[in-house]
Amino acid sequence: MTGEAPVEGGGELPDESGRERPSPIRPFLLTAGRVAGTAAPGSGPPIPIETQVVATSGGLAVLDSFASEHRDIIAACRRPQSLAELAAKLRLHLNVVRVIADDLRAQGRLRVYVPRANAAQDASVLRRVIDGLRTVPDSRGFLREG
Amino acid sequence: MKADPPGTVAAHEQDMLQQPPLPVKMVIAGGFGVGKTTTVASISEIEPLTTEASITTVAAGVDDLSHTPEKTTTTVAMDFGCITIDPTLKLYLFGTPGQERFGFMWDDIVEGALGGLVIVDTRRLDDCYAAVDYFENRDIPFAVALNAFDGKVDYELDQVRWALDVSDHVPVTVFDARERGSVRDTLLVVLELALERVERAQARTGTRY
Repeated sequence: MTGEAPVEGGGELPDESGRERPSPIRPFLLTAGRVAGTAAPGSGPPIPIETQVVATSGGLAVLDSFASEHRDIIAACRRPQSLAELAAKLRLHLNVVRVIADDLRAQGRLRVYVPRANAAQDASVLRRVIDGLRTVPDSRGFLREG
Repeated sequence: MKADPPGTVAAHEQDMLQQPPLPVKMVIAGGFGVGKTTTVASISEIEPLTTEASITTVAAGVDDLSHTPEKTTTTVAMDFGCITIDPTLKLYLFGTPGQERFGFMWDDIVEGALGGLVIVDTRRLDDCYAAVDYFENRDIPFAVALNAFDGKVDYELDQVRWALDVSDHVPVTVFDARERGSVRDTLLVVLELALERVERAQARTGTRY
């Protein structure tokens, strides 16, 4: 293990710096300055970033009545998405998506499935993840980024 | 990559069909440029996505007079990917933004995580202290993984364990962030640790699932 060869570094995208800003719009302009949704103003922890969001048929039916970001979020939720995926795909700050998703949920346009809080303490969930991960095949190492 | 949903699905059927999976997550931590994104990319079924999130940084030990750490909310870029375990269960991997000179609070990202992985570059051990401290203080199951691209690292695992001062129950392992199998096995180390803990806790309280 005491190899003389130095560990080759790098091989990773710069993930803390040098990124483009995702949106030229100041993030919370879209939420009229609010940092919490309509449901729970300032109370309790924010909904988890992996929370799944799905458009309702009612939401999809009235898609065109919404302004751009709201419309984009509903349209992107034709299939279940996590809040994190929504934020990344629509280039919005995570907390902006939290606020808008909660508003749209209150209006019946989205279903927001907050995961149950104790999944990490659930042995059956852990076993399912372990068993599922074990089926992931090996790969030949290849660099995705230089 | 998945195809878009078929456009033929009627709206009323769609509500029935689109039952989302239970999402669970693990956190990939470590200093800047240590291989977090590579790790996520190696095993994720999608190209890693980047989103902006808020974290709270705590300026540590700067102002000794007040003893009040100054907390600042910072927007950082965060990379993540996912693995569909089955149609009802999806594992997300979140790469925490590195914050080397600050304490930080990732609670917003980490809350409810199954476990964490601290990736270490043995040439820059300092970069991972904050992550090790964080997981230890939050009592989140985690492992320390030395990223060795050529299968070698500069130090023995025991030396690294000693240098990082991690508890005996924390696994310290070597892996290759570019190898899917290596990433998979390293995540399994964390998950098995998490499962052991839950089972031990259940044995104590007599809970059965």
